[in-house]
Amino acid sequence: MIEAKELRKSYNRVEAVKGVSFSVERGQVLGLLGPNGAGKTTIMKILTGYHFPTEGSALIDGVDVTVDPVAIKRKIGYLPESAPLYPDQSPAEYLDFMADVRGLEGSARSSAIDRAVSACSLGPVFHKPVEELSKGYRQRLGLAQAILHDPDILILDEPTTGLDPNQILEIRGLIRELGKEKTVILSTHILQEVEAVCSKVLILNEGRIAAQGTADEIGEALKGEARVSFRVRGRKGEIGRKALETALGRLSSAAALRSLEEAQGGAFDVDLALKASGSSDGDVFDWAVTEGLVLLELLPHKLSLEEIFVKLTTDPGVGATEGGRK
Amino acid sequence: MSGFQAVFRREFRAAFNSPVAYGLIAAFLVFTSAWLYFVTGFYALGLADLSSWFGMMPVVLAFIVPALTMRSWAEEVRLGTGELLLTLPFGELGLVVGKFLASFAIVAIAVLLTLPVPIMASFLGSFDVGVLAGQYLGVLLVAAAATAIGQWVSSRARNQVSAFLGATLLLLVLVLVDRVGSFLGSAGLLSEFLNWLSLARHFGAFGRGVLDSRDLAYYLAATFFFLYLTAWTIGRRKWS
Repeated sequence: MIEAKELRKSYNRVEAVKGVSFSVERGQVLGLLGPNGAGKTTIMKILTGYHFPTEGSALIDGVDVTVDPVAIKRKIGYLPESAPLYPDQSPAEYLDFMADVRGLEGSARSSAIDRAVSACSLGPVFHKPVEELSKGYRQRLGLAQAILHDPDILILDEPTTGLDPNQILEIRGLIRELGKEKTVILSTHILQEVEAVCSKVLILNEGRIAAQGTADEIGEALKGEARVSFRVRGRKGEIGRKALETALGRLSSAAALRSLEEAQGGAFDVDLALKASGSSDGDVFDWAVTEGLVLLELLPHKLSLEEIFVKLTTDPGVGATEGGRK
Repeated sequence: MSGFQAVFRREFRAAFNSPVAYGLIAAFLVFTSAWLYFVTGFYALGLADLSSWFGMMPVVLAFIVPALTMRSWAEEVRLGTGELLLTLPFGELGLVVGKFLASFAIVAIAVLLTLPVPIMASFLGSFDVGVLAGQYLGVLLVAAAATAIGQWVSSRARNQVSAFLGATLLLLVLVLVDRVGSFLGSAGLLSEFLNWLSLARHFGAFGRGVLDSRDLAYYLAATFFFLYLTAWTIGRRKWS
């Protein structure tokens, strides 16, 4: 289990992380999401004991990372950003070195290496020097190193960069699998990755938490922006624009009419913002029935994580006030 | 396997998997042999005395050792592998000692490969084995201190080139500083201090086959001091 309490970190008076608190349990995959410079990597460096926090504390299984870094590093598998490797070594030599480091011996050693190699599909390049490997293979070798000693905690800084789409799916599957019994933290720019892999999301912006929770919870908290668009026509013959506008005025959950356009066959396309609380798409159906209108199409716009992300990381007011804080 | 063993094995293998170790050992042997023939004129002298040959070894080491240690930390920083090393379950000192021993082992191999010189020379006249052992011990102690210093410079340098230049300069100053002392005259606290500081001055007694505990302590203290300083330099970055 990982717990961060009011973490702060400054580099040469520039504050990279400004008071971040969160916790991750075993069996959870936490995704750190945010634009470049949001503090994702810094948080990971603190959790792995590479950098110490300026203020606040990071606890791994209840032990502070600055108090007993060596004990904590033993529990962690870490893939740093850009997967640093020694260019003169082959994956075989590199994993051999890491097995030395992790104190793996005898049959446990060879089975650990076999498992990591097959999980990351490194077989074809096992004896090639790293400097000849593609970006994708380097990344997977970095990941193989992180999972070699079957650690309880995995910290993966952008684990899928440089991989092709098939490899991405493979690695995501692996992370999901590992996440069932381990504590995993990963960072990413890729929003689908969070939706595909993470049980919990932390959206970071400028060193602060803009929102946290599951992807759905965050979406729910920002539902004020929920929109619906639909096509409607009169049940008996045509309905005029004016009449429709008046009818829309009687739709109680409508917040604002964004657009109203005439479509074919006397129908209208309506784009409507819904009120934040207590409104649902069903209201539109009920409204249409009472008004004697026929709904031809209805498309609810659920905020995608992508839109939430853009909203949280560009609009300064949002994150602080209503960003799904628990 | 403990941290320094794992790091030692990796570093030692890496050096011999590349031309680095072979090149430096060869350079050391060629240079010392050339010195023996052309500069000391050993074979013309007709004396079974190698002390002037051993006397120049600290100067040679001031060039060879930095070429070996320049990679140790500067390169880890450049490749980003330092982050990997420092998130392994070891203290900084273990990593520093592992790297130190790997570099020192290569220098020691180079130094011991000069053994054929005294062995061949022993056919020409009788050698004092005790003196010879003292001279080799002295060279190895200088090499250990130089390796620790070179590694420390590398831990502070941004790249290999500045690590090499910085360490060579520092070592040459430390080797030659006693000449400044003799310039200043024999008396005076400053010249005594400069003599005490000199890597070469302490080597002198070993060269004559005298094992002085003060000289031994000087080299060991210098080695341990710079190993700790390196570990401290690296550890301090966590807070920066």
